[in-house]
Amino acid sequence: MMNSNSDRVRQLSDWLGGTDIARLELRGPGESICLQREGGRIVVAPDEPALDAQAPSVAATAASVGVFLHRHPLRDSAIAETGTTVRSGQIVGLLQIGALLLPVTSPCDGVVAAMLLEHGATAGYGTRLVELHPSSTTS
Amino acid sequence: MIEILSASALATVQDLGRVGALRWGVGTSGAMDPLALAAGNILLGNDEGAAAVEVPVFPFRVRFAQDCAFAVTGADVAARLDDEPVLPWWCTQARAGQVLNLGLPQGGTWRGSRAYLCLAGGVEVQAVLGSRSTQLRGAFGGHEGRALRQGDTLPIGISKAEPRSTDFGLVPPALALPLQVDGLPAVRVLPAAEYTRYSEASRAAFWSEPWKITAQSDRYGYRLAGTPLEAVSALEMRSHGIVPGVIQVPPGGQPIVQMRDAQPSGGYPKLGTVIEADLWRLGQAPIGSRVRFIETNWDDAVAAMAQTRRWLDEARRLVDLRRSQRGGR
Repeated sequence: MMNSNSDRVRQLSDWLGGTDIARLELRGPGESICLQREGGRIVVAPDEPALDAQAPSVAATAASVGVFLHRHPLRDSAIAETGTTVRSGQIVGLLQIGALLLPVTSPCDGVVAAMLLEHGATAGYGTRLVELHPSSTTS
Repeated sequence: MIEILSASALATVQDLGRVGALRWGVGTSGAMDPLALAAGNILLGNDEGAAAVEVPVFPFRVRFAQDCAFAVTGADVAARLDDEPVLPWWCTQARAGQVLNLGLPQGGTWRGSRAYLCLAGGVEVQAVLGSRSTQLRGAFGGHEGRALRQGDTLPIGISKAEPRSTDFGLVPPALALPLQVDGLPAVRVLPAAEYTRYSEASRAAFWSEPWKITAQSDRYGYRLAGTPLEAVSALEMRSHGIVPGVIQVPPGGQPIVQMRDAQPSGGYPKLGTVIEADLWRLGQAPIGSRVRFIETNWDDAVAAMAQTRRWLDEARRLVDLRRSQRGGR
């Protein structure tokens, strides 16, 4: 059993050392780590700059690895075109994992501002998928 | 319970069919698109063969008299729960009092003709001879042995799945397991006993020409229109056992494909049999559309069934995985 994060990082570093992987990024709820190869050693890479907390938009993110779909596979039109007004929790896209389709939902009431990933592109965990402008009024 | 609000006829309760009763002269009935029925049940955590409502005529409306998770599979019918759009092949939670409206089948990337309203727990009508399917000819099974009418209520069984585990879907097998020839939906056919009794030109035409599904097509059989098929010599036959998928050729030379409500015997010569794995494709082909036939053999027919089975198993695995993840949070 691992009993601390540093043990886990050491274990991951050992595993990586035996491969030809140059860089490993892990992201989970509230946590992320990036390990990369420098010469013969595996080191923890510095954190990426945090996204601007003052940004006027928010994003629907991928809750899983999958293929991001703007449209349902049976349909020709997007689930939520740019400019569509949506409510918090409303489906704005889909993530396909094999035969399974998972919802990508809006985190807020607002307007769909932009699709941040192409239809059919692969998304990683936490990838920003749909940019939204939150409603200014509270409802 | 759900209450039928539409006056439109022809919607019936169906499961995967009443198998093993042909010896008593009882046909199989069951969903015209068994893959859509099974997939809807998988989405809801039901047994694959739980009974659902097969809807061939739209619009169709039902009211939920209780909270119930549901999925609409088969044709994309632009479903709405009260005013909210519901995605096709998607499991959604309905609350008591909500009304589900199924609209006209949409074109999109694939056009089907039948939708399946699957309910968590299944439609809990009495099973007869091991099946809940409606036997229209015998007037038993399903709901009072007949098509549903306005005001009918259907009981819902106990769901095995966690009630909140909804809001995900499946990519329809029409897209995952496509089969087309020259842009038309196609089905694979095994040549049958009287195949060689037809002229070479007719046999060639059967495989190479499109066949139109005429308005005289229903759950009993699809009457097709195309170049008339000519026997080398007149064929006189006694009645013999037939099953869904058998392609008969009456004297006029226009073939009839037996479908789910086919009677268990017939006397017309048999040109071929649509393989079991492809019957759902035909079951979803709209009246007026055209289909193509592909010659196949026993081994490929069995392999096609195995491929369908793999698709269902994989769908079940992914859905179960999704449920266990949600349950763990």
